[in-house]
Amino acid sequence: MALLEVNDLKTHFFTREGVVQAVDGISFAVEKGKTLGIVGESGCGKSVTALSIMGLIPKPPAKIVDGEVLFDGRDLTKLNEHEMQKVRGNNVAMIFQDPMTSLNPTLKIGTQITETIRTHTEMSKQDARKRAVELLEEVGIPRAAERLDDYPHRFSGGMRQRVMIAIALSCSPRLLIADEPTTALDVTIQAQILDLLDELRQEHEMAMILITHDMGVVAEVCDDVVIMYAGQIVEQASGFELFEKPEHPYTEALLGALPQLEGDEREIRQSRLTAIPGRPPDLVNPPQACRFAARCPYATYEDSCTEVEPQLREIRPGHWVRTAHPTSERSGERETVNA
Amino acid sequence: MAVDRRETAMPVAAPSTTTEPAAGAAIRQSSLWQDAWRRYIRNRAAVAAGIIFILICIYCLAIPGFWKIPGIWTSYKDYDPNAVDFSQSYAGFSLDHPFSTDKFGRDLFARVAVGGQISIAIGFAATFMILVIGVVYGSLAGFIGGKLDNGMMRFLDALYGLPYLPFAIITTQILSPNGSVSFWSMVVALTIASWFTSARIVRGQIITLKENDYVRAAKAVGARWYRILARHLLPNTLGVLVIAIFLELPGVVLGEAFLSFIGLGINPPTASWGSIAQDGREAYRLHPEVLFIPSLAIATLVLCANFIADGLRDALDPRTRETG
Amino acid sequence: MATFIIRRVVWTIPVILLVIFMTFIMMKQIGGNPFRHTERNVPPAIQANLDRKFHLDKPWYTQYVYYVKDVFTFDLGPSMSQRTRTVNDIVKDGFPKSLKLGILAFLWAVVIGIPLGALAALKPNSIFDYMAMFFSTIGFALPSFFVATLLIYYVALKTGLVPTNGWPEGFFQFDNRIILPSFALGLFPMAYFARLVRGSMLETMQQDYVRTAKAKGLPYKRVVGLHVLRNSMIPAVTATAPLLGLIITGTFIIEIIFSIPGIGRYFVNSVFNRDFSVVMGITVLTSVIIIIANLFVDIMYGVLDPRTREVR
Repeated sequence: MALLEVNDLKTHFFTREGVVQAVDGISFAVEKGKTLGIVGESGCGKSVTALSIMGLIPKPPAKIVDGEVLFDGRDLTKLNEHEMQKVRGNNVAMIFQDPMTSLNPTLKIGTQITETIRTHTEMSKQDARKRAVELLEEVGIPRAAERLDDYPHRFSGGMRQRVMIAIALSCSPRLLIADEPTTALDVTIQAQILDLLDELRQEHEMAMILITHDMGVVAEVCDDVVIMYAGQIVEQASGFELFEKPEHPYTEALLGALPQLEGDEREIRQSRLTAIPGRPPDLVNPPQACRFAARCPYATYEDSCTEVEPQLREIRPGHWVRTAHPTSERSGERETVNA
Repeated sequence: MAVDRRETAMPVAAPSTTTEPAAGAAIRQSSLWQDAWRRYIRNRAAVAAGIIFILICIYCLAIPGFWKIPGIWTSYKDYDPNAVDFSQSYAGFSLDHPFSTDKFGRDLFARVAVGGQISIAIGFAATFMILVIGVVYGSLAGFIGGKLDNGMMRFLDALYGLPYLPFAIITTQILSPNGSVSFWSMVVALTIASWFTSARIVRGQIITLKENDYVRAAKAVGARWYRILARHLLPNTLGVLVIAIFLELPGVVLGEAFLSFIGLGINPPTASWGSIAQDGREAYRLHPEVLFIPSLAIATLVLCANFIADGLRDALDPRTRETG
Repeated sequence: MATFIIRRVVWTIPVILLVIFMTFIMMKQIGGNPFRHTERNVPPAIQANLDRKFHLDKPWYTQYVYYVKDVFTFDLGPSMSQRTRTVNDIVKDGFPKSLKLGILAFLWAVVIGIPLGALAALKPNSIFDYMAMFFSTIGFALPSFFVATLLIYYVALKTGLVPTNGWPEGFFQFDNRIILPSFALGLFPMAYFARLVRGSMLETMQQDYVRTAKAKGLPYKRVVGLHVLRNSMIPAVTATAPLLGLIITGTFIIEIIFSIPGIGRYFVNSVFNRDFSVVMGITVLTSVIIIIANLFVDIMYGVLDPRTREVR
């Protein structure tokens, strides 16, 4: 049985302007010790998915209207706040995108680590401090014991993210959710943090959900990948499958948007970054048809997908896609997306 | 009371904004002010406050006739604020005297209106002067920056140590050697006691704006400093200034009321809301209306000004209102 | 941390000097020779004596220096209307009373205003929130003399529960006379705190680090009690400085209405009596208090927000 199973999750935001169907029927699973990448552009619902798993969606406007989140067989959506508090930080941990604002500026780093430890375990203050120093060392912060009493503003962005990771690991969670952990950092630091995460995951036998909009990041670390668009999953496969044989036009476009850094000189000069024209649909009133149709280079007026929403289907074992125009079924010459 | 808000969030006005289009709709260009007006209208409290404020002003001007010079007016026959008639003393509410009368039989409906002229006039005059001084001081400090700015701000910090009320009292006394406090001495005194906040706000705004790219662009093109100041920085400070008006006004009006109430400000028979309240003080146990009505007028004005300021602040900086 | 405090303390000295200077100038402007303003006819010989004693025959800057020296040795000079008392006497008499009034008012504001705002923020848009904000809006707008008189009228007169005026003699004496005046004085700061704390907490609760705290599984009490409160109190502390100034000057009005023999009332009476030394003495005193209060607040701010401790 998978460590985490999300079945048909639907999270809606009830606002004055209407009901935003941010997450509209998502299902995936994360196996113990594996990494799942969730990819999509801003607003596609990936963060909301993560927050829904953690039970951190802002309850007044947002609500999980359907679906279940099974962690070790237990449905997290059915737990009350008190029970969820025992799960958060303990069995499931989360780190966020912006390390500059994710730490409390008026508390020492040490406090922010030890409070997590002391909330979930019976450790004494001294033991918790010792553990905190170990954790800081593990994430690669030099002179850990001294820095325990420093305030966040004395740390650089990359360092702060490492501290966040240390906090997340402090109670040995079985699952770590990382919401765009490297987006706010420089490229060089990005690589370091990703390596760190992968290392730690292997050492602690932790499962990880990595949320990002960057396919490059996914290629680095993910065992399985889920591509989200406008609140739905549009493609789902193992990392290898996805990069070798992408099926959804959106996935192709995302891959095409990667700068090509290999190949001979002429190829590199000729390949251009492809931007995907258009914008995602309004989720208050999602279209009945395929949500990607307006931006899809293959959809035409006569196609069924402009009227009826395509269902998610298993095009190959373990590879699901939601489109009427999967790559392997497109007849004739594949149009190059790098036009 | 001039409560110092130091540099609480003041909006930074961008040169122009475009409204957010509905998906697919064409983009409408509109200026900052039109946008702000539209947002302001949506705030019901602010609109109500604005209307009440205007009504109060109309009341003060219209009832005693349209002559605004204190002490010199002809009135409509029924509402004479200065007509002394002891037989009418504390006459109670009636159609003849909607706000009752005071000890001397003077009609309060007219008297409060006239008092309002003075109180509000002092309010606006002092606020205007406060803003002028604030703009000059703040622009100098903010624009020139460096050591001068540092020095000016330290001086300002020092001035915060001056106690508001005693200072205002002393100033009025200086300016009124023969003992009776005049309109302008009140204005000057209140201004001197409360210009610090506005200088600070203007300086903060100028400093923020100075870093904007369009200022750098202007400098790169070779614009002179006074041109930059006049064409770029000051117009964008307007938004902040308009809000500041409605934040300073209550303080000044209350200040005048306090001073007059304890007898060190506008004194009877000249009417101001504070002086009427002072009149009402002696007999408030039996005839509270002479004290209560001007006090309520003051409170209403203060409330309205605050709501208007809040509405303006939200209208001019939508970022402060993030969540729904 | 220590250097921070020392730096701030050192800076207050020139400020106090400046305050004395400005007050002095103002008084000189009004008075000229204050003794000539009294109605009494002072025989020229005595006048000459008085002049010499108060250095009135010397140029004004010398007088200033003498005055500064006197102030720093806590000698505020003689009262000009009450011949038998010095300003120091008057201050010794009245200051503890005013201080007590101010402290009590501040206590009202903190003990009621802050929790009110905090609770309103924790239950936004509830009935409690609306009512709390309604009351605080009223407290904010009503002039304190109005509130004071209302209280006297409805609470003291009509119910007879508390007397209408007066104040206990000793600093540590408390009786029911302290209730109304301190409440009337504390109402505005109370309302101000309530609104401020509510706004500040609402804003803090939107911050990322609060979300992190929740994600760590911290109990709600800790999230709010430590993470949210710590950071939302900062604007409240900043506001304390000007509020203290307002309370201090507000005592003037309250003391007059409730007939409390504090320095506020003495000040106003002295203005009427043209007793300049008292006026000047009390002004300087209140300045010093305000400056000390500001200093205290700055230090508190440094304690609460570690970022400010770094050298600017």
